[in-house]
Amino acid sequence: MPIQINKDVKGREYPPYVITVERGKIKEFARAIGDPNPFHQDDAVGAASEWGDLIAPPTFAITFRHDDGGAMLRDLGTDISRVLHGEQEFELFRPIKPGETYLCRPRVADVYEKTGKSGPMAFVVRETVVTDRSNEIVATIRGVTVIRL
Amino acid sequence: MKYAGRYFEDVQVGDEVTPLVKGPIQQIQLTRYAGASGDFNPIHQDPEFARNAGMGDVFAHGMLSMGFLGQALTDWAGAGRVCRFGVRFAALVRLKDTVTCTGRVVSKSSKDDAHLVELEVWAQNQRGEKVVTGKATVALPSRA
Repeated sequence: MPIQINKDVKGREYPPYVITVERGKIKEFARAIGDPNPFHQDDAVGAASEWGDLIAPPTFAITFRHDDGGAMLRDLGTDISRVLHGEQEFELFRPIKPGETYLCRPRVADVYEKTGKSGPMAFVVRETVVTDRSNEIVATIRGVTVIRL
Repeated sequence: MKYAGRYFEDVQVGDEVTPLVKGPIQQIQLTRYAGASGDFNPIHQDPEFARNAGMGDVFAHGMLSMGFLGQALTDWAGAGRVCRFGVRFAALVRLKDTVTCTGRVVSKSSKDDAHLVELEVWAQNQRGEKVVTGKATVALPSRA
């Protein structure tokens, strides 16, 4: 029996949260990917660069988590065992640097259902806008979560 | 210098992103990526959980493969140049798989001080099956 998900979650905004970018976290993230790029790993190379510091790899904003989407999954009426990652997009207005503090505002932009070759599925589009202390946009993060119904 | 990146003028439509071969994927890398990214979904760590979820066995985070593709992009274009990067996760990456990341320049445009290069990008496994497909925009410096 397929599960029913709560489509009323579409349009819902989740509480904004603040993150501060940690230097060690950028290096750890690059190492986990196996990316030795010195602009992500070497403080001296970063300091001498046009950005004056290390910069994060292009997918680093995925670490800007609050509760792992737990509240959203509960609101949808499902759990993590049914979840797959369908799509991901980042828009980066400037490189992400250590020590910066950002405000992340997540919302569910869309919820829809489709039947694919592996059965009925729901697609949940989540968009998070990331701004800095002067309210300038740093990044947008758009993820599509697939729920196997 | 490998990480120097490139200038807008040196890129032509049809150019290939230098292929980057990653893997074979090992469990320890998935565990490490979980810690680094904060994605602790047991489906990437615990074979029993993955089986009970109907997935057969553990598989890699899609974001790890996107990270590999990001590495290929920054190796080619230079660090800090990616301004848009979007992908679809087309197939699962399993333990022992090898992931090759590459791409191709689709178009170039200049407006004011922004010199943008649009690329299609993808990652494929050792059987030639595309596991990640997507698009990227990089802003490159100009010699002008």
